[in-house]
Amino acid sequence: MPRPGYMVSEIYKNLLKKRATILYPFKERELVHLPKGFRGRIIFNRDKCIGCQMCFRVCPAQAIKIIEDERGKRPIFFMYRCIYCGSCAEYCPVKAIELSDIFENIAFNKKDLLVK
Amino acid sequence: MSFYIPIGPQHHVHPEPLLMKFKVEGEQVIDVEINVSYTHRGIEKGFEYRDYMKGIFLAERICGICNAAHTLCYTQNIEQLLGKEIPPRAKYLRLIVEELSRIHSHLLWLGLAAHQIGFETLFMYVWRDREKVLDLLETITGNRVVTAYNTIGGVRRDITPEIEQKIRKSLDYLEERTKYFKKVVMEEPTVLVRTQNVGILKPREAIELFAVGPVLRASGIKHDIRADDPYIAHDEVPFNVVTYDTCDVYARILVRVDEILECINMVRYSLDHLPSGEYRIRMPVIVRPPPGESVSRVEAPRGELLHYVRSDGSDKPYRYKVRTPTLANIPSTARMLTSRGDYIVYIADIPIIFGSIDPCLCCTGRVMFIDIEKSKSWVWTYNELVRYSLKRFERHD
Amino acid sequence: MIEALYKIIEMILFPGFAFIGVLSLLYEWIDRKFYARLQNRIGPLYAGPHGILQPLADFIKLLSKEDIIPEGADKFLFTLTPILFFAINLLLTLFLPICGTTGVISFTGDLIFFVALLTIISILVYTAGMASTNRFATIGAERAVLQLIGYEIPFMLSIVSVAISSRSLTIKNIVESQSSIWHILGPNFLAFIIFAITAQAELERIPFDIPEAEQEIVAGWLVEYSGKKLALFRLGKDVETLLLCGLGATLFLGGPLGPVVPGLEIVFYTLYFIIKSIIVLLVLTTLRALFARLRVDQMLVLSWKYLIPLSLISVLIVRVVF
Repeated sequence: MPRPGYMVSEIYKNLLKKRATILYPFKERELVHLPKGFRGRIIFNRDKCIGCQMCFRVCPAQAIKIIEDERGKRPIFFMYRCIYCGSCAEYCPVKAIELSDIFENIAFNKKDLLVK
Repeated sequence: MSFYIPIGPQHHVHPEPLLMKFKVEGEQVIDVEINVSYTHRGIEKGFEYRDYMKGIFLAERICGICNAAHTLCYTQNIEQLLGKEIPPRAKYLRLIVEELSRIHSHLLWLGLAAHQIGFETLFMYVWRDREKVLDLLETITGNRVVTAYNTIGGVRRDITPEIEQKIRKSLDYLEERTKYFKKVVMEEPTVLVRTQNVGILKPREAIELFAVGPVLRASGIKHDIRADDPYIAHDEVPFNVVTYDTCDVYARILVRVDEILECINMVRYSLDHLPSGEYRIRMPVIVRPPPGESVSRVEAPRGELLHYVRSDGSDKPYRYKVRTPTLANIPSTARMLTSRGDYIVYIADIPIIFGSIDPCLCCTGRVMFIDIEKSKSWVWTYNELVRYSLKRFERHD
Repeated sequence: MIEALYKIIEMILFPGFAFIGVLSLLYEWIDRKFYARLQNRIGPLYAGPHGILQPLADFIKLLSKEDIIPEGADKFLFTLTPILFFAINLLLTLFLPICGTTGVISFTGDLIFFVALLTIISILVYTAGMASTNRFATIGAERAVLQLIGYEIPFMLSIVSVAISSRSLTIKNIVESQSSIWHILGPNFLAFIIFAITAQAELERIPFDIPEAEQEIVAGWLVEYSGKKLALFRLGKDVETLLLCGLGATLFLGGPLGPVVPGLEIVFYTLYFIIKSIIVLLVLTTLRALFARLRVDQMLVLSWKYLIPLSLISVLIVRVVF
């Protein structure tokens, strides 16, 4: 049966509820619940890395480059190309790569988005 | 006196690029021309330059909202080529994520439909409650929208008992809210007058013009790939194919809302009957399927999705072809938007009629270069496009 | 001499243009904030405490924007319409009894003049759309006139039933006749409902924002306006909101009347007027949150099939009772 203004009780109920919006520039960071296993910014552990280049081979976005440092071959990550698929972490044989829950990967300078 | 009005390529109801040129007389639409060729991203060609594992992530990016359906279709294809069968648990997990993203897509669409008829409050409520299902997807897969869940040989993560509890809790909430939204749609008279007898597509026309998905089902035709050609675990999980026979926008809303309720029951059922065991068979990084070809069909939220692959035995596909549901629905939209006889389309109905097919144009575009002066047309190859883009933009490193 | 000076101060400062300007921006903020809260959002937040200065910030921003006149437009009409739109709205607020039973301007039968000018505002919408010669604007202008045919008659009839029950066409007398009981509490309740619905149409808000329907014809008759002209239209719309809320409060809720402390009549009257008109505003905002937009033909059907008969019944009831 059609009834004009069907939502009237709902809108007044919502008037008394707390707003659904979370203030973004993190005045309310505690309201953001990120689950375990969220795919965010890459964290790289140099001590574990054995230089097998697996991450470089599986990366679909070419966000990983292999360079040489004093301890041999190692990857660096360009977060501005990363698509957060998590392939590198999945295929890393020694779990030297992890995805953290940092999701604000924006910077004025590209150098800030390099993970070394 | 008639004149033309353009809707698109930039218009705030359809943010995606598409041009519809309407011939109108006063408030009535007489004729329409639709041009979808504004976004061409070279994706099909892109598949030929990636090995099979990386192709998953490209398939995911064909369409943001139905990414689970695209990866499902892609991985099924490659598994068929390789002749591998995935473990039963993986089948159920794939089904759960597929149905959750269908809920997500349909709720998003319901909100947009409310927005298109100017019902801002319903739009806000639907999108607020959609966050629940996005949170579920985030918990299961690690990301809100782009799931990256299906992979060749299974899925990438398992569902733990805690996650299962969370899913059940959220599903209860979603079911209650969806039922409420259904009531709003069925009882609010302003919604009824704006959607009933608008955008009529008769069953015969729907078949003639190759409509797919909810548009076809709203015309009263029982067609659903999940029931007609079951893939993953759909032959084991029971569900009803929702059809309505009023053939209008109202029927399309109800089909989608009822499908959400069906999806919720399907996810519950598959959580109850989740087989134990492996959720993935390990595959090498480089797979080389034997030469051959394969077609796979999936019922994406927007309709029937078709992927075709041809392999020549190397580590990359020889040819990859994607037919997305929106492209299939464009001809029937043109029919719905044209007045004929007693059926009159008003300018005010354009957004909701076009919106009722749940358009997703990023996966539809086709491109061709046309030189009007020399009356020549040609197509660029992948290498030419890369060379052109490198010339225009300097490399990142 | 002193009398004239007093009149000028009344017109420019209080309760004239300056006061009205501040009040109308405040009403826009209340409208937006309340609408947002009904939808479980925040609404304006950053400019001033709780975003109270946001309408002003929007206005200033628009003033600083580039002002474009399209090549095909009728330049004279295109420039004149926003000024007239704003000026007529502002002029009409002088009739509102804000700080006493009479407005700044008051004469016998001023209600007729008031309603006549309100219709001219809708005609100006048509002029604005037609002068910009954009296709969307043309469609918007046509819709504005079609809609005018729909809502004008019930709107007038709802006012007429108030006028009958107070046996006068002067705003002052209507206010004074409500000193014992407000009209809304009597047989005029039906007239108030019709008034609220048609005021939505007059203000072009959901469910009757047909002439500027954002999703269909972009911004309708407003589409070509930018910069200062758009700012004038926006402010004019705010003043119109205040105008109709004030009119509703005056006709149905007893205007500025209420218990007062002797000596402080002006303060109390103003306070009562503001509170009552805010109540009307909240009713209008609730209506805005409840519905989807109607199509223009459906709007006409609604008003000729339901609103006009209802308002005639309302007039009849009032005529029988009084």
